[in-house]
Amino acid sequence: MIFGTLLKQLISRPATNPFPVKYMPKSVTGVLKKVAAGQAAIHPPVPTPKDLRGKIAYDRETCIGCGLCEKVCPARVIELYKPEGEEKNKIRMYVARCTFCAQCVDACPVNALATTEEFLLASPDRFAESLVVE
Amino acid sequence: MNNQSIKLEVGGSTACYTVPVGPVHPALKEPIRFHFDLDGEQIVGVDIKPGFAHRGIEYMGMRRNLIQTLYLSERICGICSISHPLAFTQAVENAAGIAVPPRAQYIRTIIGELERIHSHILWAGVGAHELGFDTLLHLTWNVREKCMDLLEELTGNRVDYAIPIFGGVRRDIPAEKAPLAVEALGYYKGLLDQLVDTFLHDKSIEMRTRGIGALTYDQAVELCAVGPVTRAAGVPKDVRQDMPYLAYADMDIKAITPRDLGVEPTGDVYDNIIVRLLEVAQSIEIIEFCLENLPEGEITSIPKVPALLAALKNAEGEGIGRHEAPRGEVIHYVRLVEGQDEMAAWKVKAPTYSNLMSWVPKFLGDEVADIPIIAASIDPCMCCMDRVHIADETGTTSEKTKAELVRLSREKTRRICG
Amino acid sequence: MSVTIAQAVWQGLVILFGGTLLGMFYKGLDRKLAAQMQGRIGPPLRQPFFDVVKLMVKENVVPDHAVGWLYNLMPLVSLASVATLLFYLPLGGYTPLLGGYGDLILILYLLAVPSLAMVVGGFAAGSPFATVGAQREMVMMMAYEFPLAITFLSIAWRLSAILPGQPVFSLTVLAANPLWGLVGPIGFIGLLLLFFALLIVTPAELAKIPFDIPEAETEIAGGILAEYSGRNLAMFYLGDAIKMVVMSSLMVALFFPYGLANVFNVAGVWGGVIDVAFFLVKVFAVIFVAVIAVRVGFARLKIGQVTRMFWLPVTGVALLGMLLLTLDRFV
Repeated sequence: MIFGTLLKQLISRPATNPFPVKYMPKSVTGVLKKVAAGQAAIHPPVPTPKDLRGKIAYDRETCIGCGLCEKVCPARVIELYKPEGEEKNKIRMYVARCTFCAQCVDACPVNALATTEEFLLASPDRFAESLVVE
Repeated sequence: MNNQSIKLEVGGSTACYTVPVGPVHPALKEPIRFHFDLDGEQIVGVDIKPGFAHRGIEYMGMRRNLIQTLYLSERICGICSISHPLAFTQAVENAAGIAVPPRAQYIRTIIGELERIHSHILWAGVGAHELGFDTLLHLTWNVREKCMDLLEELTGNRVDYAIPIFGGVRRDIPAEKAPLAVEALGYYKGLLDQLVDTFLHDKSIEMRTRGIGALTYDQAVELCAVGPVTRAAGVPKDVRQDMPYLAYADMDIKAITPRDLGVEPTGDVYDNIIVRLLEVAQSIEIIEFCLENLPEGEITSIPKVPALLAALKNAEGEGIGRHEAPRGEVIHYVRLVEGQDEMAAWKVKAPTYSNLMSWVPKFLGDEVADIPIIAASIDPCMCCMDRVHIADETGTTSEKTKAELVRLSREKTRRICG
Repeated sequence: MSVTIAQAVWQGLVILFGGTLLGMFYKGLDRKLAAQMQGRIGPPLRQPFFDVVKLMVKENVVPDHAVGWLYNLMPLVSLASVATLLFYLPLGGYTPLLGGYGDLILILYLLAVPSLAMVVGGFAAGSPFATVGAQREMVMMMAYEFPLAITFLSIAWRLSAILPGQPVFSLTVLAANPLWGLVGPIGFIGLLLLFFALLIVTPAELAKIPFDIPEAETEIAGGILAEYSGRNLAMFYLGDAIKMVVMSSLMVALFFPYGLANVFNVAGVWGGVIDVAFFLVKVFAVIFVAVIAVRVGFARLKIGQVTRMFWLPVTGVALLGMLLLTLDRFV
């Protein structure tokens, strides 16, 4: 009968992880500012596995500017451009569009791209500094 | 009364009033519109209008290279996010003549079956919610987390796994991760009895699902229903059994029907629950087999991406890929033309498309209160299914007659086949 | 007992305010505990207050097809009738404000008014979902009113035989003379059956799962309440919260009117405080058993199933209880 389970859950801790805070705060941005200033702490998210496909890291020095990543990217995250005064093309990634398939990582012939475990990427500005990798 | 739309009525009774359900309604997780003719609380007529979730995915897919389209196919549906790529890669591999190493085939099977487990558990929760049993929704979705965590561990993503690639898979299952899978499977094995007990032996669920939304064997065959819907009606139809592919050929897979639990199939909601719960058990067995017999070797036949792109560009031909998705058979048709990055044609047939018509006999004769659970019983996925949106010059939707639709679809088939 | 008008107004306001607060508090508790039983965190305890405040400041939309004045009047009628009920409740050991002016029959009628108001409001809304919901609510009322009336009346009748000449239909007298000790073993069993019947009627009266058929969110999108918004919805919400307190207090008054003050031998102010606190605990216990545990433990039933259930087994149990009480009277 289901009531056994229900009574057990009544006295045990809820399954929900109270991330980032248990209840909706009065001001979300206020809390975030406090957290950024180190005055408050958020509840940690559920741990992620080792090989999580998070934000893509880009090693600008290794990149040879072949453009293969741009070609395979399904979400057109990657922009290929030629920086002034440099010989080789470089890329710029707009993470806000990224679908985290990491196909670019597989495609890169010189391993200039890698997945990281960073996944807390929400931002009100899609061109925020944390959301443009170059 | 128009003959353009899907409509069926039972004689003898006059409908008192019409209740519209959808395109936005709490019972529907995705947009579709029903018009129910009601006699009191009884449904005497039903009219179904799909087409609200059409996104032009096939059109988009034919304007990108195949690797990009692979990830687009993953996003046809959020729950079947491995089923569509599996069918799609098989179709492309058939068209381009690319071989898949056995280890990759086994890994694809494992991920596919894990998806079936979490999809069926998700369905059970949704079904419970439609019955007003939110506690079971929370319990089942809590249980589902284990499967999602395992998928995240094995693939790096929770929903869109990005695992298959033409000619193999992108991530191996290393020896150190196998115990995690074994542990998760053990967890589900221990839980199955409890799930069966809460769903099949709960009095209030039984009162709400027995004899509700029945579909006879003949109706299921005649309406070409697929997946658990047809199996619940007693038709032993399963792509994994009928036309084995991937690792399924190495096992003895039998289509699950309610008879496996000693219940004579009627195709009602209760039978749908039975079939889906038993399939979770079946999936566990399949994954265990795959983990034990995982062949050694490469995980992809063309590991270099430039070589793969070149092989796909130089390929010519057409191919069909089939996969038994959690909701039923999904078919992808692909035509490749030499010297072209994009596909020349792409056609997707999702399981809900085949199951749509089985709604009509399921609804007729039941009550208003049964609408949500019957609608949910086929586990509909509108975004998988909607491939057509009819609009006239003014932009408003219009209706087409059967003859017109047949003519249009023939024209399209000719266009697709070149 | 003589109360001046000023006293009556003052006391009335306290009761109204307190009853509403109590209802919202129990509602918060209901949501929190239901969430906890489902493995969730749930909203904070003060969420019902936020909800009401938010609804109060929102626009009050009247649909084009609605009968405006009826549509706007019904939430008020609903709230007023349950608020009136508060004045008849013997809170702890205190005598209710209107204790001398009405009896059990009036309470039975007042209990039916909110549901009727919702029916009228639902029909007045002019939406198909609200119409279906209103029809269902009417059928529901026909189903559960009979066992409810049997329970109330048999208890009062049995007491009338024990206390001849006393106004046994007054809730105060009923609460002051718990029947459990006054009847023989047969009557005791009969009383148990009546209690059981009332326990099943309670969630139906309050329209909670498995009997939330007139609202049935997944089926008819809120049914009766589908078109209501803003202030009107807030009034229905408050009415629902108060009705929960009223219904469980009635249950407590009829079946568990015992106080703790005599047990601990405390008199005066502290005795009153203990009794009120104990009363609140008893009300909570009834809410927990009859509302919270039931609404998380079952699926929503269908209207046909509910009518069948109330007309046959529940009415049967109530009638059997009445029969046993009658037997007890003449044995």
